[in-house]
Amino acid sequence: MSRFFTTGSDSESESSLSGEELVTKPVGGNYGKQPLLLSEDEEDTKRVVRSAKDKRFEELTNLIRTIRNAMKIRDVTKCLEEFELLGKAYGKAKSIVDKEGVPRFYIRILADLEDYLNELWEDKEGKKKMNKNNAKALSTLRQKIRKYNRDFESHITSYKQNPEQSADEDAEKNEEDSEGSSDEDEDEDGVSAATFLKKKSEAPSGESRKFLKKMDDEDEDSEDSEDDEDWDTGSTSSDSDSEEEEGKQTALASRFLKKAPTTDEDKKAAEKKREDKAKKKHDRKSKRLDEEEEDNEGGEWERVRGGVPLVKKPKMFAKGTEITHAVVIKKLNEILQARGKKGTDRAAQIELLQLLVQIAAENNLGEGVIVKIKFNIIASLYDYNPNLATYMKPEMWGKCLDCINELMDILFANPNIFVGENILEESENLHNADQPLRVRGCILTLVERMDEEFTKIMQNTDPHSQEYVEHLKDEAQVCAIIERVQRYLEEKGTTEEVCRIYLLRILHTYYKFDYKAHQRQLTPPEGSSKSEQDQAENEGEDSAVLMERLCKYIYAKDRTDRIRTCAILCHIYHHALHSRWYQARDLMLMSHLQDNIQHADPPVQILYNRTMVQLGICAFRQGLTKDAHNALLDIQSSGRAKELLGQGLLLRSLQERNQEQEKVERRRQVPFHLHINLELLECVYLVSAMLLEIPYMAAHESDARRRMISKQFHHQLRVGERQPLLGPPESMREHVVAASKAMKMGDWKTCHSFIINEKMNGKVWDLFPEADKVRTMLVRKIQEESLRTYLFTYSSVYDSISMETLSDMFELDLPTVHSIISKMIINEELMASLDQPTQTVVMHRTEPTAQQNLALQLAEKLGSLVENNERVFDHKQGTYGGYFRDQKDGYRKNEGYMRRGGYRQQQSQTAY
Amino acid sequence: MASRKEGTGSTATSSSSTAGAAGKGKGKGGSGDSAVKQVQIDGLVVLKIIKHYQEEGQGTEVVQGVLLGLVVEDRLEITNCFPFPQHTEDDADFDEVQYQMEMMRSLRHVNIDHLHVGWYQSTYYGSFVTRALLDSQFSYQHAIEESVVLIYDPIKTAQGSLSLKAYRLTPKLMEVCKEKDFSPEALKKANITFEYMFEEVPIVIKNSHLINVLMWELEKKSAVADKHELLSLASSNHLGKNLQLLMDRVDEMSQDIVKYNTYMRNTSKQQQQKHQQRRQQENMQRQSRGEPPLPEEDLSKLFKPPQPPARMDSLLIAGQINTYCQNIKEFTAQNLGKLFMAQALQEYNN
Repeated sequence: MSRFFTTGSDSESESSLSGEELVTKPVGGNYGKQPLLLSEDEEDTKRVVRSAKDKRFEELTNLIRTIRNAMKIRDVTKCLEEFELLGKAYGKAKSIVDKEGVPRFYIRILADLEDYLNELWEDKEGKKKMNKNNAKALSTLRQKIRKYNRDFESHITSYKQNPEQSADEDAEKNEEDSEGSSDEDEDEDGVSAATFLKKKSEAPSGESRKFLKKMDDEDEDSEDSEDDEDWDTGSTSSDSDSEEEEGKQTALASRFLKKAPTTDEDKKAAEKKREDKAKKKHDRKSKRLDEEEEDNEGGEWERVRGGVPLVKKPKMFAKGTEITHAVVIKKLNEILQARGKKGTDRAAQIELLQLLVQIAAENNLGEGVIVKIKFNIIASLYDYNPNLATYMKPEMWGKCLDCINELMDILFANPNIFVGENILEESENLHNADQPLRVRGCILTLVERMDEEFTKIMQNTDPHSQEYVEHLKDEAQVCAIIERVQRYLEEKGTTEEVCRIYLLRILHTYYKFDYKAHQRQLTPPEGSSKSEQDQAENEGEDSAVLMERLCKYIYAKDRTDRIRTCAILCHIYHHALHSRWYQARDLMLMSHLQDNIQHADPPVQILYNRTMVQLGICAFRQGLTKDAHNALLDIQSSGRAKELLGQGLLLRSLQERNQEQEKVERRRQVPFHLHINLELLECVYLVSAMLLEIPYMAAHESDARRRMISKQFHHQLRVGERQPLLGPPESMREHVVAASKAMKMGDWKTCHSFIINEKMNGKVWDLFPEADKVRTMLVRKIQEESLRTYLFTYSSVYDSISMETLSDMFELDLPTVHSIISKMIINEELMASLDQPTQTVVMHRTEPTAQQNLALQLAEKLGSLVENNERVFDHKQGTYGGYFRDQKDGYRKNEGYMRRGGYRQQQSQTAY
Repeated sequence: MASRKEGTGSTATSSSSTAGAAGKGKGKGGSGDSAVKQVQIDGLVVLKIIKHYQEEGQGTEVVQGVLLGLVVEDRLEITNCFPFPQHTEDDADFDEVQYQMEMMRSLRHVNIDHLHVGWYQSTYYGSFVTRALLDSQFSYQHAIEESVVLIYDPIKTAQGSLSLKAYRLTPKLMEVCKEKDFSPEALKKANITFEYMFEEVPIVIKNSHLINVLMWELEKKSAVADKHELLSLASSNHLGKNLQLLMDRVDEMSQDIVKYNTYMRNTSKQQQQKHQQRRQQENMQRQSRGEPPLPEEDLSKLFKPPQPPARMDSLLIAGQINTYCQNIKEFTAQNLGKLFMAQALQEYNN
């Protein structure tokens, strides 16, 4: 049966056809879909195996169709391309052609094409208008076709003499084919829409059809376009065909009426045609997109499609078939076979599976089967998106969540069902109620996949939209599912599986600040009975306890390194988030992750970076500026904090990486709700750098060899200095720079007002859970460090200074001032002594002046210069002979060269 | 501006004697065979140079210009000068030579000496012993034998004593520069050290009698306060800068020595290569067996000898260090004197 004909008559598959036509692909794509819709076993097998002839001819007809399209729009270049393809395809079909004779349509296109080209060639005006490419293609094609047609001369001439006859033959052949197929169809119920249509199409009598064709052919020369329509949009012919069946007598009329459609069907056809054309214009390339679009398209398309399930429902199983396990499983397998194949309608597949579940449930086939089918539904939901990068649609996602929930319900309700990946297909026990049910499938994988999908959805949603919030609401559901699965696996799963699900749980817990626990901590147990009640109301477990429990289990039981690493990092993060600095730090040090994290895969490294940052921020909150600085140094000094934390791609490196890399990196991004505020991070870093660097700078002002503690901080200072005009600070950085300048002068009040004010509160400090605590800590730090800076900078102008004055100046209490100064004296930072009775600091003035400093440095440098020079001298002597060393030494002694004899000898020996 | 000029003008005359003294001191430098024994500068030239720096020089930036004059016996008289225009990046196609020619031609038209006798340059804390100066002075001296370079130190001048010095390359250095071979061996052969790179030519500033009269007139009028710069006791800044610069040079020197050292080690290593010995041993064995010896291959082909570092840089650095040291010595000596004087004054007042 002619493939072309079938597709033409099948209005349902039209949508996909129109897409495929354009890319000139064999319509074979339809095949996968059709049997699915029809779910007709017999037909299925029959159609998939096509004869070689059909296949080749189909290819040819497709090409011809494209050529006709191209001819219509005068795209000669395209014609040329297609013609070459056609020649090749013909060559492939040679063996069949030898057997069957040259097909009529082939001759016809050759003849038409030649005529068409000649016509174009004659049309001088048109040729002038043609663009260069087309004109070139025209001449080439003309030559080619002349040459080519020489081989078919006899055929063509016979065709030209008698075009009707050849066309008739064509038609007859089609008819024969369709009759053949209808015979088969008649064996069956013939309920399906497609078969129904086919039956219709077979109906038109030979005569009317012949007549029609004749009309067609007569028109052909003059009205190329109409012919083309006939060819390119199968829909027209099919619709007219089906109409013919309704009233044979009106066939002729309808044929003529085609251009002015009156009947509903015609209207529909016209609409379709229009849509087809529009589509052609738009998405020539993206076939896939096209398909998806069709899925979504409303109105017309939906209506046509809407009929399908209705037809399908009874078709799922033949009427009266006893629905047994075997039948259902068979059906299931059948559906699954289509999975993953090209052109399978995934949405339809999911629907089918859901139907199957219903049927199974209706017929009480037992939970085993249902579980099995559910597994498959979820799997096909995941499969729905062919592309890894794209994310699930909300409705799919909702379905997926529901499905997993239902599955869990069943599994919890029936503890006798065993689920596992390792259960072989053969050893499954789906219905034998005596033995425990065994189903193949892995709930853990499903949940992991679900988590991935969730991440993907979050990654692909604009984080500042309401939509994101909506999606984020699902997080609770995801967590709930994970918790259920965890409970399930705790009972039944292996340790490995438990570890995996624990990790998932941890990953959903570690970044959340436990406000309830925090509140509980804040309100000490006054009125214990009441608070106990509160606690009972609150969720049973502190997240800290939970993390502890889960992580410890993983530490003990896990064998894969990755899960443990992730768990440790999450644990540290959680500790740090809740200001348990020492636990976090100890865990980090004990894990030795810093040594070998560079061998981990990027996502783990990102997690590590996040953890380090959180650790640094935690240290800052505790007032441990040095630790904070050290923890943040690596991340901040690179200037790529954004990238290192997986919170966005840098524009700069966009050119460096290719598309593929970019995709991979995009997938690694952390969803927005996990982000660490970069401004906060930078501010914490800069402020701790300021607290360290400014006193250090003051202490080593004249030291030539002083090193920077923080390069980035210095960079910011320099940027600030370069500013031609200093306005009041605007950004966070400017605030810190301004504060640093104030601190340099020992002016802690200004410094304080720059660091802590409305703007900075809004930008940074209010983001901390315990903002006020942090602020008081910060003020105190600023006071202390300003005091130190003041002493470093101005000690040279004081003979002595009263501690009381200092304590007034910096609003610190006397013991603190005392302790700070004592510390400085002990560390030999400040050359002074404390005079206890008068509470004053007496300066010793042992600091060298600037000139003295310089002179010292110069002396040092000269020392090294001399040393170097002597080495050169040594060398000279060495070259004259290692053999005469003793003599040389004697010589030296005599000459009195031994200024530093012992030392020199050592030197000369070590030099070799 | 006018008063300022006057001030400097007056110091110029007064310092002419000190310059002369310096010249005398340098006389021992042994410029015996040099073509020029003395440089006589017109007051006009001094003022022009000073003015040029005032207007265009800033900080470490230097200004340069052309000296014009004539040679009389063994005396080089510099009677006029004109500045080089300041270079900017945008007019790269500016032709300096043509500018100079134009300038000289124009000057000739107004009947001014138009003989090119050298060039002048300002300096920042005496850091003028550089490769650039060496190169350009060499090309000058190569083309015009008598040419000198005048070094003007604006900072010292601002402190009260005009600092203007004339330098020439020694004949020895000229030889070396002509050879363009600055390898250690060549310099050793030329027997040149940093002391004998430049020779200072004594300077005499000469004014017409009329101007001298005017100067005397002005001197009488000028207040004592105008000369106070000379007595400034604040020395630390200047000294510090000098030390800093000196230290930088010492660092460079150090690096240079290290470079030289590695070079020495590399060469010696290569000379001691076992290769040669092995080859010899092999040949000995071959001879004992009666086979023809292997050819002695050129070692330099097998092992590329390490590139000897150019020693001229280190010579220049040494020269620069020398000038710094001289500067500091001079400066501290003067300052000590001032301090003692101040002390004595204070005691007297008390």
